[in-house]
Amino acid sequence: MTAALLVEDLHVADAKGTPLLRGASLQARPGVPLTVLGETGSGKSLVLLAVLGALPPGLQAQGRVALAGTEMLVAPPQARRRLWGRTVSVLPQEPFLALDPTMRALSQVAETYRLVRGFPRPRAQAEAEARLRELGLEGTGTRFPFQLSGGMAQRLALAILRAADTPVLLADEPTKGLDAPRRDEAARRLRDEAERGRAVVTVTHDVAVARALGGDVLILREGAVVEHGPAAQVLASPSHAYSRALLAAEPSRWTRPARPPSPSGPPVMEAVALRKSLGGRPLLREVSLTLRPGELVAVLGSSGSGKTTLGDLLLGLMRTDGGEVRRLPGVAPWRFTKLWQDPPAAFVPHQRLRQGLDVLSRRHGIPFARFGSGMERLGLAPALLDRLPAEISGGELQRFALLRALSLDPVFLFADEPTSRLDPLTQATVAPMLREAARSKGAAVLLVTHDPDLADALADRVLRLHEGRLASAGCHPGGPLGL
Amino acid sequence: MMGVVRILLARLAQAGFVAVLVGTVGFALMHSLPGDPAFRIAAERYGPDMVDAAAAEAVRAELGLDGPVLPRLLRWLGRVITLNLGHSLVSGAPVLPELLDHLAHTAMLAAMALALALPLGLPLGVLAGLRPGGAVDRVVLLGAVLLRAVPPYALGLALMVVFALHLGWLPPAGFESPAAILLPALTLALGVAALGGRVARDAVMAVEASPFLRFARWKGLSEAAVVRRHGLRNASIPVVAVLGLQFAALLEGAVVVESLFSWPGLGHALVHAIFARDVPMVQGAALALGLGFVLLNALADALAALLDPRRARGTL
Repeated sequence: MTAALLVEDLHVADAKGTPLLRGASLQARPGVPLTVLGETGSGKSLVLLAVLGALPPGLQAQGRVALAGTEMLVAPPQARRRLWGRTVSVLPQEPFLALDPTMRALSQVAETYRLVRGFPRPRAQAEAEARLRELGLEGTGTRFPFQLSGGMAQRLALAILRAADTPVLLADEPTKGLDAPRRDEAARRLRDEAERGRAVVTVTHDVAVARALGGDVLILREGAVVEHGPAAQVLASPSHAYSRALLAAEPSRWTRPARPPSPSGPPVMEAVALRKSLGGRPLLREVSLTLRPGELVAVLGSSGSGKTTLGDLLLGLMRTDGGEVRRLPGVAPWRFTKLWQDPPAAFVPHQRLRQGLDVLSRRHGIPFARFGSGMERLGLAPALLDRLPAEISGGELQRFALLRALSLDPVFLFADEPTSRLDPLTQATVAPMLREAARSKGAAVLLVTHDPDLADALADRVLRLHEGRLASAGCHPGGPLGL
Repeated sequence: MMGVVRILLARLAQAGFVAVLVGTVGFALMHSLPGDPAFRIAAERYGPDMVDAAAAEAVRAELGLDGPVLPRLLRWLGRVITLNLGHSLVSGAPVLPELLDHLAHTAMLAAMALALALPLGLPLGVLAGLRPGGAVDRVVLLGAVLLRAVPPYALGLALMVVFALHLGWLPPAGFESPAAILLPALTLALGVAALGGRVARDAVMAVEASPFLRFARWKGLSEAAVVRRHGLRNASIPVVAVLGLQFAALLEGAVVVESLFSWPGLGHALVHAIFARDVPMVQGAALALGLGFVLLNALADALAALLDPRRARGTL
């Protein structure tokens, strides 16, 4: 069978000549999904852009990219663009952002039929309605994207791609920001597209997506292919050390430490019958929770379930509508603290890290040397102190955030999806530090996450927030909790 | 559409608030005129030599300057809200018709300024936004900063010197010839164009970099279709919002420029009324400016809601 897409020995370098991709080769065949697996900076997105012929100006590419007979590296821009929507289409990252916020759902599908495929208007409308129906979006044609749920937005993007019906379909981190059930749904839908006879290439950092898609897997590291083969084989018995590390970084494979004796001492934080509505919708109906020193409690919930709101209520960052929050009396307010989801958003962008810690040390009378030993424990090199937040990796920055939080001797730490923006290997080093913090500092840690495996691997207790109520989730090793 | 109606109702409530506020301040001003306000007003009206107790009493009775404060205030507000704005203390003529005439002139000036500003600012802003950091962007930025930094009276004087005195193309002031509107309108327009251009530049840049525009291209739409169907509307949302506010601000910004160019608009009238301590006229002009501000804001909001479905449904 001929390959719909062929990439041979692709090299990409930036303007200064730094190599970003070093000899990537792959081919995609109709019906067999191909997953390009790699971390941030592995060059996986560059592969996708090179296939599209949309590499940013300033990058130099060598090698060969053949898309349905067109040499994408030598074809003029107009020729490359003519293939878009006709030969190749892209399922974008975060479909919600890729849909026009001011255009109704049906028009966004119908314009592909009318303007790309040249159908007359009534037929374009009818076809678009049929695509929406196929994907369970019946009756949403007149809605705007902001009136759709995240899952519906993803299906709307898929409906647009089905309208284009190109032989090659590229998916760029299609599960970014999705919780486990929706991630699996997205992967299943991509596999459906492959089964319809399209060549599907998916770029992701999530091993679970590769597993759900099946087909072929290619593992990229620092611009080079380290392993390539059928998913069943590569994911079951990886031959390269990096592949093994990547697979072992999945939380479901972490070694669980023995559970400590049940925590004692007076509760650090107690919530009694908390209620909270946001935008007229009841988010938390009656939530009670007790946290004791030294324990790590995970709260699981899908996006929008109110789990971040719960933590913010406990910290007093939001006002409750009813119920009561009781803190351990006589403890300084800054010892109840929060680790934010998006590390760059939690730092002053133009302030070097040393300066930020300096301010902290003066405000709270912490000797600066204490940061030094903390950094050593968290694996942070002293040279990083003189960089700006944007100049270090997300994992390093999140460790600085943890350092900052721990330096105040917290009794309560609310960790809000602290590793969801990190690569798997980085997550595997940062996340256990939370447990370590609970143990060594005797702090109560509330971990909020949408990843049941992560919750299971880290927490002493796992609770599930569903429809505004908190319930014990128990342990279901190896499986999602059916959220 | 419900969203638009809700916005307009909220603005109507604001208009009522503005009327009460301006009326109360007008009332307080009236009673804080130095000396016996009745004598003072009679002096303004008939000349200092003609004032006697009888004339003052007549004024007192006419303007209701007697009695307890609260009922007087309520009577006063009642008249303000029904647009019975009384008579000018200076000319004795009713305030309302005079005000409407001034208002028409100001509206004409503001509309002319906007009509000049749009073709000046928007195309440059769009060009700058398509190539951020490029030559056009940098020149336009420099021009915009200079124009915003120069106060309108200095800009107006400079234009007057160049176009009226040196070149002799346009009349320097007044309102007799139709061309007289050009210089004051241009003075106002340059500032609006500078701001509008900057906003358009940022809006175009944001839309150009947005994932939905990239997706529209990847869908296979032609560049013209991408711009027409996905670019223009989204980029126009912030521009319309800011220009709506600017248009409203033109009404007030006109105070300086109208005085400079002797343009018989509201601002000009307001300045004269203040010098003459003509409280009904001051109150009327302030009321017209305040209500005009609310009205134009309402129109800008409604337009923004029509452009942006999120706003109409109250999610922004």
